[in-house]
Amino acid sequence: MTDLLWILIALPLTGAFINIVFGKRIGEPLAGWLGFVLVGSAWAIAVVPTLGLLTGSGTPETIYLFSWIPVVGADAAILWDPLSALLTMIVTGVGALIHLYSIGYMHGDERFARFFGYLNLFIASMLILVLASNYAVMFIGWELVGLSSYLLISFWFKKPSAAAAGKKAFIVNRIGDWGFLVALMIIFASFGTFDFGVIFTTAPVVLTTGAATAITLLLFLGATGKSAQIPLYIWLPDAMEGPTPVSALIHAATMVTAGVFMMARSAVLFELAPISGVTIAVIGGATALLAAVIAVTQMDIKKVLAYSTISQLGYMVMGVGVGAYSAGVFHLSTHAFFKALLFLGAGSVIHGMADEQDMRKMGGLRKAMPVTFVTMTVGWLAISGIFPFSGFWSKDEILAATFQRGGPWLILWAVGILAALLTAFYMTRLYVLTFLGKPRWAEGTEPHESPWTMTLPLAVLAVAAVIFGVFNTPARLAFEHFLEPSFALISHAEPLDLPLAAVLALFALVVAIGGIAWSWFRYNRDELPVEEGGFWQRGLNGFAVDDLYGRVIVEPGKKVCEWFADSVDPKGIDGVSHGIAQGVRTAGDGLKTLQSGQVRSYAGGIAIGAVVLILAVLALGGGF
Amino acid sequence: MGNASYLAVAFEGILLIGALVVLLVAVVAGRSRAVWAPIAGASFLLAALAGVLQWIEVENGGGGMFFSAQNLQVIKSPMVVLDGFSAMASIVLGLVGFTAMLGSWDLVAKVGKRSAEFVALSLLAFAGLHMMAATPNLVVIFIGLETASISFYVLAGFIRADVKSDESALKYFLLGSLASALFLYGIALTFAATGSLTIYGVNSIRDFFSETVVSDPGILLVGMALMLVGLMFKISAAPFHQWAPDVYQGAPSGAVGLMAAGVKIAGFAALGRIFVGGFISQIDTWGPIVAVIAALSMVIGTTMALVQTDMKRLVAYSGVAHSGYLLLTLLAGVEGMSAMWFYLATYPFMIVGTFAIISTVSGPTSTSSPIEAMRGLSRRSPEMGWLLAIFMFGMSGMPFFAGFVGKILAFIAAGDAGYIWLVVVATLTTVIGFAFYLRVVATVFSGEDDDTTMIDPTLSSRFAVVIGATVTVVFGIVPWILIDVVRDALPL
Repeated sequence: MTDLLWILIALPLTGAFINIVFGKRIGEPLAGWLGFVLVGSAWAIAVVPTLGLLTGSGTPETIYLFSWIPVVGADAAILWDPLSALLTMIVTGVGALIHLYSIGYMHGDERFARFFGYLNLFIASMLILVLASNYAVMFIGWELVGLSSYLLISFWFKKPSAAAAGKKAFIVNRIGDWGFLVALMIIFASFGTFDFGVIFTTAPVVLTTGAATAITLLLFLGATGKSAQIPLYIWLPDAMEGPTPVSALIHAATMVTAGVFMMARSAVLFELAPISGVTIAVIGGATALLAAVIAVTQMDIKKVLAYSTISQLGYMVMGVGVGAYSAGVFHLSTHAFFKALLFLGAGSVIHGMADEQDMRKMGGLRKAMPVTFVTMTVGWLAISGIFPFSGFWSKDEILAATFQRGGPWLILWAVGILAALLTAFYMTRLYVLTFLGKPRWAEGTEPHESPWTMTLPLAVLAVAAVIFGVFNTPARLAFEHFLEPSFALISHAEPLDLPLAAVLALFALVVAIGGIAWSWFRYNRDELPVEEGGFWQRGLNGFAVDDLYGRVIVEPGKKVCEWFADSVDPKGIDGVSHGIAQGVRTAGDGLKTLQSGQVRSYAGGIAIGAVVLILAVLALGGGF
Repeated sequence: MGNASYLAVAFEGILLIGALVVLLVAVVAGRSRAVWAPIAGASFLLAALAGVLQWIEVENGGGGMFFSAQNLQVIKSPMVVLDGFSAMASIVLGLVGFTAMLGSWDLVAKVGKRSAEFVALSLLAFAGLHMMAATPNLVVIFIGLETASISFYVLAGFIRADVKSDESALKYFLLGSLASALFLYGIALTFAATGSLTIYGVNSIRDFFSETVVSDPGILLVGMALMLVGLMFKISAAPFHQWAPDVYQGAPSGAVGLMAAGVKIAGFAALGRIFVGGFISQIDTWGPIVAVIAALSMVIGTTMALVQTDMKRLVAYSGVAHSGYLLLTLLAGVEGMSAMWFYLATYPFMIVGTFAIISTVSGPTSTSSPIEAMRGLSRRSPEMGWLLAIFMFGMSGMPFFAGFVGKILAFIAAGDAGYIWLVVVATLTTVIGFAFYLRVVATVFSGEDDDTTMIDPTLSSRFAVVIGATVTVVFGIVPWILIDVVRDALPL
């Protein structure tokens, strides 16, 4: 059975090929259904071996497909264990629902088929990433995911802001990718292979603490790019320029979790580097808090969710940092459901409101969009951490693991609690401003419920957001046991005593309810509070982090490039254009004068280079 | 003189005969292109076939050194060498030459009765290029270099009516001559210091190093440095790269692929032959310098490529960066030669394919080709659009394309040689490089629907592009086939 797992990747890849190449001929809506059916089948196929792992009748295994670059231990092979099975289920499951949703959402788009081609390509890339059995193949998936994300964010490339957002996401992620790549170099230099099996079993012997710290910090740099952590989170809010299903699939449920997944996969290495653990946990906590503060001030419904995603990813990263890998992965799974739900709900609202995204112009949508309203209620309670919805269990587990470390870690725990308070606050704000109160719609807007292809995925995700949490409660650690084979090589902390765990959970619940109440009374009234002061303004701009990066990095970078173009290489763009213009003009006798200057300067360059080189050779060879 | 010695010079022989036949036919039969198309194609393919035979001969232990004439064995100065290195050069140059000729065929068709010159010069140039890889004698390397360079100077200025083409040729000629002069002076100084012009054989440079304790190495070092400068110019490594973008841009689009790919292969073959073959004992002296040049090339090539608006200049600067990556393989000495040949057996096909597309889109005689001209290419000519994307992916080092494997092997070679900092620089520039390659891809796939001036590529350029793309994709997915072969492409 598991021999056929390559079909999982092949199915969406086929869909991508067909939809990109023949999409125009297939047309709407058939292209969408094709994409949906292929991803859905991939999910159905994956269910059987996943159940095998769940019931214990199957064991983790590596399925060899073909040898790719055998010298570096990079074979095309699939690693099928609980961790990859879980991610496969999420990627194909949530992915299929979002394909279904997109059939309604992208209705009438002139590049309908192309969109599904890109979505399929993304699913295939993501599966390559999670099913990889070595770092080289994982990196391929990582890059392909980045590429398809770029294509999808800038899908409406005629909108300059969308094109710019795609570019920004791409460039910011390159910084992270560089870290990943260098980490891979060091890994290869240390182990002589990229193969997970060899690396993880021999790591404690091969790696010194210093090497492990370097590797893990560089891997983490990669993760801060993909999983939108400080300092590289800035691309994610802009990525909201893409179609909303893309935000739900890529920027909430799947791609952004790739960083967390990669760190969980490399858990053995992170265990060897305590300093990295502290750094990661602190950055995760700081991201969770900063993004939550910014989310409070946002007016665009998708921007709230974008910052909320960054904040929740911060929790997951914090979980990985404190060594609670399965808690991090658990939050990853629950978040995939409720955040996809929230994004799709927001998309449904935007769809119904004729592309309005400003929450100040919404309100009272409860009656106009009943299904969206009910399902969004579930999502809202889940992310706020209300018992017994899934977000409550998973967030609580990370906080409990942080608390358990004691000492200075308690500060981090407090930060997490504070972020939880703010989460409840801004989500209630979003919920109340959108669905409750009186309508504040722009004139001529007539909200309507979305078609069934859009509401059905909402309903399915809502059910998942309710029940998924009970898989892993302090009393019943089914999820953790399921993941155990994936983390077999690292030591586990003892779970907290049940009474203490219950007290902590209760405290978190009280905080969440407090946040909800505070926000509810602030916003659920006819006259909205004025939010214009310095804090709100600065928060709306994301505390000007983009500007700061612009001044400190982008502008100097541009200057360097321009300097290169103008000074170092005497013929940059300007030189060429002038040269061409002049060359034509002075076609006759001007040729000689035009030439001699340039050739002389080039020859001068060669001469100087030669002299320097000779001196260097003499110095190195002992010729002086 | 056994049969093997004829085999050793078979590549040059076949191309020379081909060139002569083309010229004769042109005189006798007039301007019928149809006649010398098969001659040119057959010459390159036969030359590649000769390369395969050479390879088999070497694999069977039949390689060795050969002398210019029987009686000169007294002075034991070999002129030709047949080893895995030179056989591999035959195969690669033959196939790249064949593909590049197909890519240039649009230009050949355009230049009317002068097309015979073009074909003959190309054949002669490639004979010269191979000479650089297949001789242990420094002077013969120089002769090969000049044979190729002078042919290429003419090809660069082939469109005499176009002032940009003239400018390109003149610039290439003046600067190329300077580099050749420096190279030759380097040979002279090396001879003065070691008393030898040959890398192998009795009284060779290698013997000199193993037998002599050099107390005052000044002249020898300067000679080595000057040879390095000359070859760095030819492969357009920074800071000796400035000619490349100007010459590429000014030369007719149809001819650039031929020049750029050929020079790259032979330049590195000569570097490998001289520095890894002859001066390997001095690697501690030239290694760090090559490393710095590699770093400069990667950084300057990548940075400058970012700001280009012209396809040919972009490929030229990307070529500067690629020279940097290729230089990494030299640092590992003999161990790096297989990585070098993997790179040289794949990357030139991407150059040739890219220029075939440029020539199709902007016209074979054009001297400028703005990136903007590629806008919407995926619609105007789907196959050219998609294949250009493949070449860009290949050059950028995207996984599952040959460029990725080539880079990985080069990085490993440099890492093994202990140049970790250089590998870090290389990964950094690779990552930055994605930006400009993907910008081209984005341009190809964007554009308004109403702009649909269809482009209909000729059969020959289609062939060239498809061959190039096949190499790029196949050796990206199943690289070990080639890796296993190039493992034996070592100098004696």
